[in-house]
Amino acid sequence: MSVGELKVPFVERAHRALNDRFLQEALNTATTRFMTLRHEAFQAFPQGEALRERAREIKEATLQKLDFYLEQLADNVERLGGHVHWAATGDEARGIILRLAQERGVKLVVKSKSMATEEIELNEALEHAGITPVETDLGEYIIQLAREKPSHIIAPAIHKTKGQVAELFSRELKRPLAADPEVLTKVARGELREKFLQADMGITGANFAVADTGTVVLITNEGNGRLVTTLPRIHVALMGMEKVIPSMTDLMVFLSILPRSATGQKISSYVTLVRGPRRPGEMDGPEEFHLIVMDNGRSSQLAGTLREALYCLRCGACLNVCPVYRQIGGHAYGYTYSGPIGILLTAMLHGNHAVRDLAHASSLCGACQEACPVKIDIPRMLIELREHLDRERIAPLAERLIFKSFARVLTTPALYRVLGRLGRLLQRPFVKDGRLGALPVFLRGWTDHRDLPPVAERSFRERWRELER
Amino acid sequence: MTTRAQFIQRVRGEMAKTPGLFAARSADRPQEPGALAETIRRQLAERWPAALARFSEEFERVGGVLYRVADMEEACATISRIARERSAQRVVTWATSVLGAELEPRLRAGGLEVAGETAGLPGEAERSRFRHASAQADIGVTGADLAVAETGSLVVLSGPGKARSASLLPPYHVAVFGKGALVESLEQVGVIFEALHRDPGTMSGASISFITGPSRTADIELTLTRGVHGPREVHAIFVESL
Repeated sequence: MSVGELKVPFVERAHRALNDRFLQEALNTATTRFMTLRHEAFQAFPQGEALRERAREIKEATLQKLDFYLEQLADNVERLGGHVHWAATGDEARGIILRLAQERGVKLVVKSKSMATEEIELNEALEHAGITPVETDLGEYIIQLAREKPSHIIAPAIHKTKGQVAELFSRELKRPLAADPEVLTKVARGELREKFLQADMGITGANFAVADTGTVVLITNEGNGRLVTTLPRIHVALMGMEKVIPSMTDLMVFLSILPRSATGQKISSYVTLVRGPRRPGEMDGPEEFHLIVMDNGRSSQLAGTLREALYCLRCGACLNVCPVYRQIGGHAYGYTYSGPIGILLTAMLHGNHAVRDLAHASSLCGACQEACPVKIDIPRMLIELREHLDRERIAPLAERLIFKSFARVLTTPALYRVLGRLGRLLQRPFVKDGRLGALPVFLRGWTDHRDLPPVAERSFRERWRELER
Repeated sequence: MTTRAQFIQRVRGEMAKTPGLFAARSADRPQEPGALAETIRRQLAERWPAALARFSEEFERVGGVLYRVADMEEACATISRIARERSAQRVVTWATSVLGAELEPRLRAGGLEVAGETAGLPGEAERSRFRHASAQADIGVTGADLAVAETGSLVVLSGPGKARSASLLPPYHVAVFGKGALVESLEQVGVIFEALHRDPGTMSGASISFITGPSRTADIELTLTRGVHGPREVHAIFVESL
């Protein structure tokens, strides 16, 4: 999705996605593949279940002492010669990075995949300031060339065909390229290798930050995380404040479950632990290291409805299993984070108004919670979110009235009885072969894609009364 | 500009509003990680053959190639053979002080061009020379501080004489290791890391990398492709005499 398309309402975005045949196929293939890989990985890992519980507990324990761990992390990073910056908002985080880059005369920035920098739309800000950001994760590179947002947390370009990628690369490099993933990957390697060697600054996110040792942890499969933190003379890491964990012992728990949940791997190809700038005697590594700790709406949820969403590891497992995501893909959500967890994170970052429609883009089936490595109770939070939308009068008036009336009907037996009878009468023209087929006008949405069971000829209460007699 | 005090104050204020979702503790850390790490190493001095077998299985599963040789002489011959089979010429290596003095001359004798890292305090010119050599090299030869059986991972700690680029920039990476590097699980790695960080003298570099097979991506139509940014082949040579 290009920026600005948010003006299109969610229902329409979803509709477009449903009518995009390639997207449908790509989504189905990708999410099914990830789902299967994850399932197989945990099947072959009996201790996985206990480790998930452990991981969940570590996340909660960390939040309960968040102030302590953040200070410990900062002390350790500084002790190692790194610099720590504090950003209350996304705006502030962007400002810090821009200032760092400008003061040091940075022209070219290489980035490894980071949802935090996506969240603050850092690339646009850098470009605006005349600094060239280059995404180096292959998927991110593709969507950067296409000027789009990621459509999946861990596979940002799953919505693109190899033909489209070949077109993008050909346009960028001004030479025709074959639509062959092997060839295109090789071309990207050559192109991006040059950028790695030329760049003055490397920007990363942080999958974890270990408080006790002052270590930023990056997990990649391509190795771009290593290159970004090895070649440029400045390394800037941007982390959401909830990414801190207490110790190396905790880290090993997460390393066991995060890759399995994301791609079904026992461990990703590269796990990179960075502690400050290079030490004396080291041949390579950055001479400057900056860590930016970002709040951007997170602290408001420490005691809020969405606290549990702060456990999220960004593995994408909940996207793959979500019956809604599987149909509409990431772009239809309209914001940086998609899928079930994305709805909650969007509410956290952009406020409840942003999820007026999105809060309903879930069937509450619970598959997300089951797949989540830290068992985040996403359905509960979605329900609470819907409640808030109603109470804060953000939900459309019609919806609020309907639910209010619905509640009235359900709590007033006489009214329920009368309406039941009325329904029985009114449905007659629409019942065919014992099924409620095509309802008229504004009720169409209920029966366009499925049949409903009709209101029973005799209600349970009526039958009960007869039985009692 | 938000200061550290303001940021933490804000977090504290919000934390004070809730006791949290449930009673929770972070992972139990070893009280004496140094002693525990020592115990693990002692146990592995007996159990290493099983760990090597498991490492071999997992390492090959992720696309690595494992060799088992008697000594460094044989290791050098293996590296030369890997180079020959790939028409590779230029080799970049960690410092001789880390990998052993015999490596460089032996590789040279095998007809390879070797750019070895020098230990000591490298200046700008030295850094730039090594970076250039790594970027041009076909093969990077390093050691491995740990070899994790459970995942088939090579763990390398950066430090003087242990450049990060050597295992990263060349298309072929060859790591040489001995039984002392073998550990069974990530849990054991956790204990060793706790011990390493407890004793500030032991960590002379700023980076630790887990390398598990070649660089890979599936970002274009889920087609698995190797060597996107890092090496497209990873070889590990287990040297019995090390």
